[in-house]
Amino acid sequence: MMQRFLDPAVLAGISSLDLLAKTVVDGFVAGLHRSPDFGFSQEFAEYRAYTPGDDLRHIDWNLFARTERMYLKRYRGETNSQLTILLDASNSMNFSSATDGSVQPSKMDYARFTAASLFYLAIHNQRDAAGLIVFDDEVRNYIAPSTRQGQLHRLLAGLEQAEPRARTDFSKPLLHFQRLLQRRGIVIIISDFYEDPESIVKTIEPLRFHGNEVVLFHVLDPKEVRPEFRGPAILVDLETDQRLEVIPEYTRNDYRRKVDAHIEQLGDRARASGMDYHLLVTDQPLDETLREYLSIRKGGK
Amino acid sequence: MGFLGPWFLGGLVALGLPVYIHLLRRQVTVPRPFSSLMFFERGIQSSTRHRRLRYLLLFALRLALLLLLILAFANPFFRRANAGASGKLLLVVVDNSFSMRAGTRFADAKQGALKLLAAKPLSQRAQVIAFGHEPQVLTLPIQDMGGLRSALQGIEPSDSYGSFGELGRGIRAIAESTQTPIELHLFSDMQKSDMPANFADMVLPPKVTLVLHPVVKTSGQAPPPNWTVESIEAPAQLPDPKDLKRSHVQAVIAGYGTPAATRTVSLVINGKVTATRSVDVPANGRATVQFQPIDVPYGFSRCEVRINAADGFAADDAGVFAVQRSDPERVLLVHSSSDPRSALYFGDALAAAAESSFVLQVIGAEQTADVDPSKYAFVVLSDAITLPSIFENSLVQYVRGGGNVLVAAGTSAAHHARIPVFGENVLDAHDYSHDGGFAKVGQIDSTYPAMSESNEAAVESNDASGGAAAKDATGWSDLKFYYAVAVDPAHSRVVARLMDGTPLLLDKQIGEGHVLLLASGLDNLTNDLPLHPVFVSFVDHAARYLSGSGRLSGSRVVDSFVQLRTAAASPGNQSMNVDVIDPDGHRPLSLSEARSIQSFQLTRAGFYQVRFSNGRDAVLGVNPDRRESDLEPIPEDVLQLWSGAADSSSQAPAQPADAASGERKNPADGIWWYIMILALIAAVAESIVASGYLGTQREEA
Repeated sequence: MMQRFLDPAVLAGISSLDLLAKTVVDGFVAGLHRSPDFGFSQEFAEYRAYTPGDDLRHIDWNLFARTERMYLKRYRGETNSQLTILLDASNSMNFSSATDGSVQPSKMDYARFTAASLFYLAIHNQRDAAGLIVFDDEVRNYIAPSTRQGQLHRLLAGLEQAEPRARTDFSKPLLHFQRLLQRRGIVIIISDFYEDPESIVKTIEPLRFHGNEVVLFHVLDPKEVRPEFRGPAILVDLETDQRLEVIPEYTRNDYRRKVDAHIEQLGDRARASGMDYHLLVTDQPLDETLREYLSIRKGGK
Repeated sequence: MGFLGPWFLGGLVALGLPVYIHLLRRQVTVPRPFSSLMFFERGIQSSTRHRRLRYLLLFALRLALLLLLILAFANPFFRRANAGASGKLLLVVVDNSFSMRAGTRFADAKQGALKLLAAKPLSQRAQVIAFGHEPQVLTLPIQDMGGLRSALQGIEPSDSYGSFGELGRGIRAIAESTQTPIELHLFSDMQKSDMPANFADMVLPPKVTLVLHPVVKTSGQAPPPNWTVESIEAPAQLPDPKDLKRSHVQAVIAGYGTPAATRTVSLVINGKVTATRSVDVPANGRATVQFQPIDVPYGFSRCEVRINAADGFAADDAGVFAVQRSDPERVLLVHSSSDPRSALYFGDALAAAAESSFVLQVIGAEQTADVDPSKYAFVVLSDAITLPSIFENSLVQYVRGGGNVLVAAGTSAAHHARIPVFGENVLDAHDYSHDGGFAKVGQIDSTYPAMSESNEAAVESNDASGGAAAKDATGWSDLKFYYAVAVDPAHSRVVARLMDGTPLLLDKQIGEGHVLLLASGLDNLTNDLPLHPVFVSFVDHAARYLSGSGRLSGSRVVDSFVQLRTAAASPGNQSMNVDVIDPDGHRPLSLSEARSIQSFQLTRAGFYQVRFSNGRDAVLGVNPDRRESDLEPIPEDVLQLWSGAADSSSQAPAQPADAASGERKNPADGIWWYIMILALIAAVAESIVASGYLGTQREEA
């Protein structure tokens, strides 16, 4: 039942990103209880004989009382990961196929929901450090990864302020990415990737070389994948303001073929470079993205 | 084609509105934002062509809708005359009334009609109608020349009175059931006397083009002189030929368009000339000739008054009538012991009537036990409310078999609940003298035979009594009624009422017979009716009505009806067959008609022999309507007014009317209704196309 709160159409009605992220993650985690594969709280590992120099705080005094021998209780250690989300805030992310009366979120909204949910999951549930880079053709906002108090709110505020403008250009902000991402961690790039797949992957590949787990979340509107025009129309490019008169016959055939090829090529190229690729259509629930994050988290542990 | 409302054509300016919307006003296409155009390619030509095609269809529909609406308001019409002569229905009407027997009129009319048929286009439909007393349609609208010709040649001159009013009525009925224009050609002698009292009755519908073909000159020439036997006054029944008071025949000889002349008039009885008189007929006037006495044998005699060597219209030179010589019929008057005066008054009145050939037999009510009422012409019950049951039953059977009874309810009726034979209850007894007053007659049904006026029809006055009986029914208003019983009139015909509404004279049919009830007495105690001259007239009419002698002989007019039985035959009603033998000796009734027919129309002049359902025989002399003897034609201006061609000669030759006059006469057929239907269809189509277009725009937006 909680799954329905992962529906983008439902989430679009929630104005607060905080509440939205909480709703999504709580609903998602509640759904996880059925799965035994996920459980990574602190676990007991072994007892070790005390040797001088060991921290007395780790001695199991209960065992000492029974055996009069000092043993240290050791736990399976946990490492905190670092999550950095690179959010594309170019103008093309502002597209939404919502018509009057429907609540289909725009790609930017969907990206915000996704990022907020991931932040909430990372900070609130996993105690991971989380950071945000908002970019278009340059870096517009940077919130360094941290686990400090109030980090979640800063991140969410950063998401709120990320209004789409300008156009996408991965090459220019890449240098800033490498400079900002000194520590290895998980890097999630949320964008509509309206560029050549080869250049996209080449631009992002250095992050992978630094040891980051790189995931590409390709956000597209359903009408971008399968546009439906009943008559000829004049289209305006949101980023370049270019106008083009198109006919339905072309949209039904050639356009779809090109988009499918683009998606396939980007996914193949990303996976070939050791990156994960996921296509997020804005009418799909958000659990796919959360599950992806957790799987990466588990694999990297 | 024309327009009844041409000012509405100014609305054609509105046609510019769709032109503005579709051609001058630039179509605005709202650009639609899209994420990226990196996968799109330009496609202009196809989209433009698509849009123009759809717009042109909508544009044409809107133009058509506006144009049709404007046309509908302008009310266009077509004149059917433009359809051509073959689109008209040709009606050939030949007058075969009695006056057409004069000279060669009928032959000329037939010849002219045949010429008209020969000249008609083969594709034109035509219909032949004979026109006498009423239009008689002889063919359906057909193109078959042979059928039309044979129907035309089959028309024979009749003895009927022609009426242009009936013709107009019939043609109007045909015009209502026919969509096509009608061209009516009337071949007639255009008798003035055939015109109805109201000219509007003979006016034809606008879609009928009337072309007159007079067979006589209607202008500039006097009608041919014609003498005729206008009326005959003779007794229907004659008990004693030597009784000079009744044994006489009086005939009126009339001249139409005639100079003063002496004519020889003969009385022919059963084919033999029995008397001849010379009479001086004034110019254009009338003269009376009298034959007295008339010697007829027992039984029915077929009599004829004939003008010898009169004129060219020989058919109307004789008038026929029938006289029945028989012994006086007996009438039974039953009175109560307290009513000795009624018999005196009634007997005197019966004897005083000129036509009376009855012998009154008077007996008291208590003496009627062994009396057989069937031996009497009719029975009178004068205040005889209490009757021996055997006699009452005999009377009821007598009435059921066709006998008639006159019941006078005197003062005795007040003590009884029911009127014998009549069968209705006594509701009340009004004694007006108790208050020192009286009641007068307030209402009289003058159409009732026993109350009819003797001078109602001079042409058939030979069956009327004349003399003392010729009193008008208004004499009843002077009567004073001191006493009357109130009887339930539910099943009776109320002939007369008193001022307070009490039924005074009622007629009730029981079986084949009638019972006439006078709600007061026949003496001078309950009323003063016996003291007035109208009493004689009433008794005379009532006696002839109750005895049925009025219909047994005498003369009638062609096309009048004779009543053969009083009630429709039913399975339980064992009435006898009626029988009619026409002047040619033929029986016009079939067996089934003889069992069921109630009345018969006398369509021929001459003697009819009739056997009524009660077994009595009669011979009727039937004469043509004497209005047919006046051969004066309708004035020229009236004919022009009728045919609607006052500005041109109505003396059309024997060929179809020219198209010009037909077009002027023919009506304009409006077609706005069809245009409105087309406009509705265009509106629906426009809505469908427009909604489809707007729906696409919404989706694109």
